[in-house]
Amino acid sequence: MVTGAAEGNGGVPHGRLLVRFAGAVLSEDENVLRRARDALAAALGSPGLVDAAGVVGLFNAIDRVADATGIPLEPEKAAASADFRAALDLDRFAVAARE
Amino acid sequence: MSEFLAPTAFPIRDDLAAAHARAWTHLARPGTWWDGAARVAIVAETRQASLCALCRGRKEALSPFVIEGIHDSLGQLPEIAVKVVHRVVADPGRLGERWYRGVIKGGLTEEQYVEIVSVVAHVVAIDTMARGLGLDVPGLPTPEPGSPSRYRPPGAKLGGAWVPWIEPADAGEGEAGIYPSDRPPANIMKAMSLVPEEARSFFDLVTHQYLPGAVMRDFSREYRAISHAQIELLAARVSALNRCLY
Repeated sequence: MVTGAAEGNGGVPHGRLLVRFAGAVLSEDENVLRRARDALAAALGSPGLVDAAGVVGLFNAIDRVADATGIPLEPEKAAASADFRAALDLDRFAVAARE
Repeated sequence: MSEFLAPTAFPIRDDLAAAHARAWTHLARPGTWWDGAARVAIVAETRQASLCALCRGRKEALSPFVIEGIHDSLGQLPEIAVKVVHRVVADPGRLGERWYRGVIKGGLTEEQYVEIVSVVAHVVAIDTMARGLGLDVPGLPTPEPGSPSRYRPPGAKLGGAWVPWIEPADAGEGEAGIYPSDRPPANIMKAMSLVPEEARSFFDLVTHQYLPGAVMRDFSREYRAISHAQIELLAARVSALNRCLY
């Protein structure tokens, strides 16, 4: 689900629609975004869509703070997430690996 | 329901609209290292970055360093500040410490850099949400007169990040309230602590646009119209798209 490669909802209600919406907001395709927004609004209602858009916006910002300041992952989070980071090959995004 | 962004078919919670209004007011005020006019110029440049041909070319290149050129900027900020704004907006997933050190060597202070990152982050959070809802982004705020406070926390020092930060034990009166009192702060909370006013303002936005820190791990109830699981799925997907490990 997180990498966008899986089908289904990943055990999260409306997971597929949420993943599609997040991708559409970060894309530049207005038609894709409109369809994703309408589908999510139909599934979650306006309050759900608003909160979803807020989370997408906030993490689009938090990622930039993290990447621009070079903060490391906390040791306890690194240990707890080691298995799925390896499974998803997420460590290739590590700040330390960049120039 | 308040309407900071614009009247909409998707009403925005009052507390969130109020947080957006506070953030917008904050951006227009003299900051700690940039004055109000410069901060509003950073807001405008943040939006301009998405139109920059050089940034687009670099984003598509195997390495951002292989393409030379001049940023399509609004011309209101020093070139080194434009470089930071555009890169943080357009290609954050490939930022590296060597690039950061080059920026500091190029003339920005660490404190100025952190304040730029904060202003960009405020704008990205609000503008991305507006895009998600199909709303126009808010107009530029009017800069307020005055001078930057130039307050550098005396306890700031290099830790695990590129930028200096404040450990909880080193926080003085000027840093009061930036960290939770009941648990260690996450590194993302320490990231902008070199400029405490920016950390305070950004985490006010975090509290209302995401969740308050105290309830992020309270799975006994839901605090938003979407569940913890739905929130974390969105957060993880956005971070994967941005190639952000953190």
